[in-house]
Order: sequence, then structure tokens, then C-alpha cells
Amino acid sequence: MITLYDYELSGNCYKLRLLMSMLGVDYKTVPIDFYPGREHKSEWFLKINPLGQLPVIDDDGLVLRDAQAILVYLASKYDPSGTWYPRDEAALLGEISQWLAFADGITGTASAARLHDALFYDFDVEAARVGAHRLFRILDEHLWFGEQEGRIWLCSAAHPTIADIACFPYIMLSEEGGIPRQDYPAIRRWCDRVKRLKGFMVMSGVFPAGPAKAA
Amino acid sequence: MAKTRCTDQVILNLWHPLAALSEVKPNVVVDTILLEERLSYAVDGKGNAAVWRDRADLIEGSTVDVATVADQLPVKHAYGYIWTSLGDPQADLFPIPEFDEADRRRLNAATIGVNVSAPRAIENFLDMGHFPYVHTDILGAEPHTEVKEYDVEISVDRDEILATRCRFFQPMAAATASGGADVDYVYRVPHPFCSVLYKSSPLDESRRDVIAVFLQPIDQEHVRAHMMLCLLDEDNEDKVIKRFQQTIFGQDKPILENQFPKRLPLDPRAETPIRADKSAIAYRRWLSQKGVTYGVIPAAT
Amino acid sequence: MLDTAKTRWHPIAASYDLPFRHVFHGQLLGREFAVWRADDGYINVWENRCLHRGVRLSIGINDGRELKCQYHGWRYSNRTAGCTYIPAHPADAPARTITNRTFAAVERYGLVWSAEEPQGEVPELPGFAEGELLTLRGIAVNAPADAVAARLRSYRFQPTGQIDGSDAKVTVEAANDFSVALRAVEGSSTTLAVFFVQPVDSNRSVIRGVLEGRAEGAVRMAVLHHHNDRLSKLRDVVEREAVARPAPAPLEPVIERVSPELAEMPEETKHGRKATIRVEVARKWQAADGIAGFELRPIRGLLPTFQPGAHIDVHMPNGLIRQYSITNGPGESESYVIGVKLEKESKGGSICMHETLRQGDVLAISEPRNNFPLRRDAVKTIFIAGGIGITPLIAMAQALHNQNLAFDLHYFAQNEAQLAFPEKTSGLGGALKPHLGLTPEATGAKLREILANYQPGRHLYLCGPGPMLEAARNVATEAGWPEAAVHFEYFKNTNKIDDSSSFEVALARSCVTLKVPAGRTILDVMREAGVDMPSSCEQGACGTCLATVIEGEPDHQDVYLNDAERKSGTKIMTCVSRAKSARLVLDL
Repeated sequence: MITLYDYELSGNCYKLRLLMSMLGVDYKTVPIDFYPGREHKSEWFLKINPLGQLPVIDDDGLVLRDAQAILVYLASKYDPSGTWYPRDEAALLGEISQWLAFADGITGTASAARLHDALFYDFDVEAARVGAHRLFRILDEHLWFGEQEGRIWLCSAAHPTIADIACFPYIMLSEEGGIPRQDYPAIRRWCDRVKRLKGFMVMSGVFPAGPAKAA
Repeated sequence: MAKTRCTDQVILNLWHPLAALSEVKPNVVVDTILLEERLSYAVDGKGNAAVWRDRADLIEGSTVDVATVADQLPVKHAYGYIWTSLGDPQADLFPIPEFDEADRRRLNAATIGVNVSAPRAIENFLDMGHFPYVHTDILGAEPHTEVKEYDVEISVDRDEILATRCRFFQPMAAATASGGADVDYVYRVPHPFCSVLYKSSPLDESRRDVIAVFLQPIDQEHVRAHMMLCLLDEDNEDKVIKRFQQTIFGQDKPILENQFPKRLPLDPRAETPIRADKSAIAYRRWLSQKGVTYGVIPAAT
Repeated sequence: MLDTAKTRWHPIAASYDLPFRHVFHGQLLGREFAVWRADDGYINVWENRCLHRGVRLSIGINDGRELKCQYHGWRYSNRTAGCTYIPAHPADAPARTITNRTFAAVERYGLVWSAEEPQGEVPELPGFAEGELLTLRGIAVNAPADAVAARLRSYRFQPTGQIDGSDAKVTVEAANDFSVALRAVEGSSTTLAVFFVQPVDSNRSVIRGVLEGRAEGAVRMAVLHHHNDRLSKLRDVVEREAVARPAPAPLEPVIERVSPELAEMPEETKHGRKATIRVEVARKWQAADGIAGFELRPIRGLLPTFQPGAHIDVHMPNGLIRQYSITNGPGESESYVIGVKLEKESKGGSICMHETLRQGDVLAISEPRNNFPLRRDAVKTIFIAGGIGITPLIAMAQALHNQNLAFDLHYFAQNEAQLAFPEKTSGLGGALKPHLGLTPEATGAKLREILANYQPGRHLYLCGPGPMLEAARNVATEAGWPEAAVHFEYFKNTNKIDDSSSFEVALARSCVTLKVPAGRTILDVMREAGVDMPSSCEQGACGTCLATVIEGEPDHQDVYLNDAERKSGTKIMTCVSRAKSARLVLDL
């Protein structure tokens, strides 16, 4: 059984809950008092993750940290369809890794702005917002051209990958850091598509979408 | 006294919360903002607190002996928080008698920044109709959407709003019951920016859990929301209780941040009330009667 | 200085921004819009604010027919933006006047155009034929629209036929504060491009470009990339210039106030006003054996918002007035569809509808009234229809189906050919349960079967001929259904009205006392005295002329009130009911 060291309001924890829900994987959570208790910096937790960061999973003794790394692991091990992280498709794996790194960029900007506004982290919020807008412009353009060519997910496959899951949470939560998505209509449409994936679940701050139109 | 940016005398003379005592390191200066004024505070090892207007010789993070700070603002400890005022506050803060009951758990669930006016956040706290839509499968679930008739009064002697006989269908209402049931609520608004909720306890039918929100207005459109819990729960760890409360608050947050205008309009024709909004209507009238102008759009006279 | 005229058409979105089941977050001159395309293709441009508590509707849900607010689940109809359901009060029909502000929407050149108070037509682009043009990706710019438009005059691009070339000659063919038309020529290739600059706010804009001529496949993608790259560069230049200047204050659009009646908390029930609307019979067809279907379209403007269970008065060419239920599903707001059964003993109403009325005829109808509101907080809803009684229940069933709520629709009829509106009922899936050709005894047995095992949280809606309704109500009572869970609508009152009594009626709020003699109704006498009272069927069936009794004992002769309401003695239908006491005091 997988154990997720989890904080409800963390987008990085959410992306793991989201993928496990979509894969139908059972897991239990250990709630970590990230705020205000800073339990992720506690002595006991630093033994599990010396970086003092969430999320961490423990899968029968295999302890992994880093949201993107864990997505790779979960999809590799628990996705019988092999589509979320297609191990045999080199080009696609390259694309996925590229967007996983992009997701880290979103965490470093949009999530930082949110931590500043909601949990009073001492970050340069203006720089974080400018950085997030720069990334969102790139992403919106990518998604718009994708729609024009019939590609509706981040990578060139006809199905979603863990790249979509990795980028989704902190985009969806960006407004809590004072980063509106009004100027990124293609991102807003892609968010609707992610929300309509089978097994989608919400977190605090993310609303569900209504049903798609029957074909 | 220094001139303040806030000119609302009613609000200036109130006690406002700054921080949970449990979160403050002893003798270390912390900066915060109240009503657009930069303040600093510190607490010593014995629980003595000092609050003062931000100044260059006491920068954030430095060590201070609270007894020696000059030009302190009024300070009060109550319900686990440090309170201060920028005006002439009354001696006492509103009472929450249950806070002193020995068998209760008392904790700060979190202090969270929200991009909304304080009165909008209070109105949301008083609202039950959104439970099935915003707190889906936790505090409510479709199709059980009805807000049944309840009573609201403005208590003249206590100068507070009281909503009683509030009931709302909650799925998984009790740990033992498999199905949902109506849960009873009582709401108090004893302070323009603070509200106290009493919710029937799953453990003891005769008593109620107490959940309060104390809003620290940063400016007219931003608050720090301090969430105080005073519960009969004996089983759950603090962090499980906090997680529940933060989940609920996190669900309200995007609603609050998408309300427009951000300040609460007091003109009765600004929005469309329904019977379920009785307590909100009473709250808006009460703010109007008090002459509150901060965080609201006053009705044209 | 930015021209903020509210009368000028501006593009606010591109067609590709409005896929089905999505809500686009638009803005023009500071005013935010929730823009959504319904499943029937209609584009709604609404104030981006729920009227209840000001929450942005752009975070709401477009279910194809209605837009649902995320905060309290209020539902607003396609086209009219009228609120159709308030979940906090499931037993009430919301006041029709709870209507969000709507704005014009015209889809042209692959763009969606709007304005607060538009004058004239959307700009004409000579030579731009629909389907023969290419709409570019909109480029959001953090700079004032006039500054963007000024910079666009020196925009350089390649004509579509020479997209890989490098030295096209570009000339300005026309330009104003919000648009620039440019022609690029290289060799024999020439392309006309028109760029509109949408003033989002004082310091924000979107460049929306349209090119003449069609491009396909790789060329199309190359052209789209070509302009996207160059417009992005132009954006960067304009933004750098804008940052160097002090930012203008954001525009502050005025939000209209709600009507005074909506500012008050409504009472538990509320009546609509009398009004007539002119409609055209757009279609007349045989909806089933002996039942004619009519599609009624407005002569001008939009029809008012309706709710499931609502009926309209139809004023017929022969002067008669009859009530018919609206059968439409949620969001089907272009026309009303009603069903009319040819009655054997017609007094001229159904004969006129069946035989005289033709497609293209014009009729007067009332605004919809809903005295048969549908709760949507039932764990399960049971609908029982007899014959033409299906009409209000079809509307209700479609509403529940759209919200994915549990229900069964039991439909009693003589034979399959008498099942009306199959095109509507077929969409309900397995919930439709026809019961055909049953004798009265067999009908009773079937009703007992359907209504057995009452469970809390269930609600029952009945509509059909009087005897069947009586039977069903009795069966429900025997099976333990509480009265509050049984809702019914008679389509006529077959009771013999005894109007032989005479009595006095005092109207408490109007401070008048009136004498009601034998042979006249309370409603007649009140109207003669100048007291306005809405009414509809005037035979004690529809519930429109309901009044509250403060004092005295009513003599109920209607079929609208249920037994509990009758016993309480606090309600009266003023069109047929009278007084057993010498005096009645009404709250009017």
C-alpha cells in the first residue's frame, strides 16, 4: 500500500492524489501540518526527506520525494495502459520531461506567489507573478497551436500524460497568488479538458467542470 | 496620535486580531499590517505581548524585551490570539464563554491571507446555502439543498447578530451514522469582522463545537483570516482537525476571491437576497446602522 | 486618450474561444463578461456576476442549456439569462425578474462582437466572405488599445502566398483608433489583413487579426505562426513603451442595481404580473393521436424565462383564453412548445387550436406563470402523467435529466400512438415508463405498485384527468405519502361550482369592504372595485388568483389547494371559492 505524506492545500501533493485517483490506485495519507505547524521541517520528517519538502511517498519501503519524480514512478508502475508515461516512446518521454521541468517552473513562480499571499511566505511576489505570466504566455501559445493542429494535450500524443497532471494544479491555483488566467483562454480550455478526465478529483481551490457535450 | 489611513472611527476603535500566540516565537519581532498600518509585535516567554507601530530600530526577526518597547499600542490576549487597536477600544472583547470550559480542545487551525474584504468573508461564514456546491460531500451534498427557515435577531443589549434554529443537511453527519442528517448551527456576529459558529457536536448532543473566524483587515480588500477551534473532539490529532478546517476554508477561498465588487455593498439594491440570506441581510443592516465604512460600499444616502 | 464610447462594436472573443460547455472570461472597456455558447449554438454575453452575491459567472458551469453559479447553484437560462432555479428554496419558483444583464453578441469573421449600447452594425469588411478568411490567434497586450493600434500601422508581414519570403511591401489601407487594415504585396501575392484592437481595460488590449482568403494544412499553420511571432514581437515593443509611462487608472464600469422588488426578501410565494406577448405559430404538427403540437416564436425580442411546470395563457382568435403548459427543456428558450388535446366536449378552445390555427398565425400569450414548481432536492422524483397531463411533466423530467437527478416518468395512455412528444421523451432514457391501455381497475393497481414503499426524500408530481388524479392522490395517501410530498396540477376543475351564496369580503391592506352577491365571484367584484389581481384559468385549477385569508371561513370549490391548505383556512382561490361565514378578510 502506498503512503502519501500529504498536505491538503499543496498543489504538488494534489497532483499525486490526482494521478492515483485516475489510475485507480489505493493509497493512504499521513497528514503533515505544513502550515502553520511546519511539520515538514520537523526532525522526524527530515529523516524521511532531508530537503524538508512535500510530497513524499512510501511504497512498501521505497521512499520517494519530489512530485514530478513520483509521477514518473507511479505511472511507470501502476498504469497498465502505459499511456501516462509511455516508457518505449523516446520522443514522447523527452517531451514529457520537458514539461515536467516546466511544471517545476510553475511551482517556482505561481506557487510561490500563492504561498506569499495566502501563507505569508517572504518571497518577491512581483517577480514570482512576472515569472508565472511569462510561463503562461508560452503555455497558452503552445496549447492554442495544439488546438489548431488537433493536439489537445501538452505532449504530441493523442492522450494525456503525466505532463498534464504535473502542470495542472498550480495553474488552477494561480489566482490565489494574484495571477489571473483571463489572458490565457487556451489554458482555460485545457483546464476544462483535464477536469473532464476519468477519475478526476478536486482539491480545495479547484472546482469541478460540468459534463462534456455528448458526441 | 499618528494619522491613520483608515478614517472609519468605528473600526479604528475595535480590537483586531494579529496572530495566534501558539505561532509566535518568544522575544522575536514580527511585522504585520492592520488597516494599512505597518505594525510589529512580540511576545515574551511569560506570554506578555507588545504591539507597536513599525519602526527602524526594531526590525523583523530581531530580539526584543517586550517590557522595554516604548509607545506601545493597546494589547490584549483573547481566545489564543494577540489583539490590538488603533483607537480607543472598549475594555472587553466579546465573550465566548465556552472557551473556558476545561474539557475542550483549543487551537488555531490556521491564519490564511485572502484577497477579499472582511465583511464579504463574514457573510460567507454565515451562509449555509453554499454547502452542497462549495463543500460538496463534506458539509452538504445535492440534492439536499434547502435552507430551512431560521431565526435572526440583532441583540440590542449585546450588540450582536444571532442566528438560531439553523439546520442543514450534512452527509456523514456523525461518525456512527452511515447516512446524512440535519446538523444544527447557531451563528453569532459579535464584532463587524468576527463571527462565532456553534455546531452540534457528534459526541455530546447537549453541547456544541465552537468555530470562530477572526479577521484582521490588512486593507479594504485583503484580510488575514484567523480560524479558532474550540472542540469537544477527544480522538483526533490536532493536525487532522486543522486539515479538515483548512480544507473547508480552502474551498471558500476561490469563491471569496471571485466576488465582485470585493467590498461588501450595503445598498439593498446592489445584490439579490433570498430568504436564506436573512442573517446576511441583518449583518448588512447592522453595519449600516453602526456607520461602518471600511471594507464596504456604503449605501447612498 | 482612449475612446470609451459604449456604442462602438468591438470584438470580445474569437469563435474558437467558445467551444461547447465552456465559459470564456471576456472583458471590454473594464466590464467583465461571462461568454458561453449553448448547445443550440446561441452565444450568451452576460455581466460576469451572479446577481445573488456577485460571484464571477466565468467560474461557473455551462451545462449546454443553462449556466450554473458555483457558489449557490443558481441556474440561469440560455438567451434570457433569467434565473430558473434557486436550490436553497426548492419549493419556490424564482421571480422571473431575476435576470442577469445581457449584452449584444454577433459572430462574424471568426470573431464575437459586442458593445454595451451598440449602434449600427458590426464593421463591414469588403471582400471578407465568411468561410473565406483566416482568424489569427488573439494576442493579449498590457498596453492601451490606441497605443497598440498606432504601433500596428507599421506592422510588417508576408502575404499568404509568399509566407517564406522576406520583402513584402505593406501599405496601410485604412486605420482608426481600434483597427488597422494592411495590405502586403510580394510579387503576384497579395493579402489584406485587418487587425482589431479590443480595449480590454485602460491599459490592456487584445489584437484580433483576420486575413482574407483561406489557407489549408501546412500553409495555414505557417501563416498562423508567422503572424503570431510578429505580433508577439510587436506586443513586446508596445509593452516596453507602456511600462515607461504611468499606467492609466483602470476603467470602472457601473454595475446596474437590481430592481427595487428584488432588493426586498421575497415572501414565500409571489405572483407574476399580467402581460401579453405576441408570438407566431412557427410550426404546428401532430404530436400524437388527437394532440397537436405548437411551436410559438416571439415576433420580436426574446421570450421570458420559464421554469418547468409553468403555463401560459393563450388568447385565441375566437376570443377564448386557455392555459397550456410549456413542454420545453431547460435552456430551450427560442420558442415555447405546447401540446393541445382535441377535447370531445370542446367549448371552442381546443377546436380552435386544432382546426382554425395555422402555421404563420399570430397569437397573444401571457408571460409564463409557475404555480406547479418543481423541487429538485428530492432523493427521487416520481412523475405520473395521464394523457395530455404529460405536458408539464415533460418539462420537469427534462430539467431533472439535465441535472442528472433520479426520477421515473410514468405515462398512462390508451395506446402507443397517443404518447405525445416522443422526440422529447426519448431523450429521457430508461426513466420513461409508458403504461398503455389499462382499464380503470388496472390503472389503480399500477398506481398502487408505483406508489408502494414511500421513502422520505421522495416527491410525487401528478398531472392528468380529474378521476385519475383523485385515484392517484388516494393511493398515495394510503401508501403513506405525506401531503407535502404530493404535488398535482388539474388541467380543469370538473367540480360543479355552487355560486348561490352571498357574503362580504374585506380587503385588509386596501381598506375596502365589498359585497359578493350570488352568481358573481370574489375576483369579479374585486376587479370591478379596481383591485388588481392576476388570474389565469378562472375555474379554480391553476392557482394564479390565490389570496391569503386572515379571518372568516372559506367555502373551497377549487381543485388547486391540497387538503392541508384547505383545512388551514388561510388560502383561497378567488375565482371560484366563496365564504361559509358572512364575512371574509383577505390580505390584499
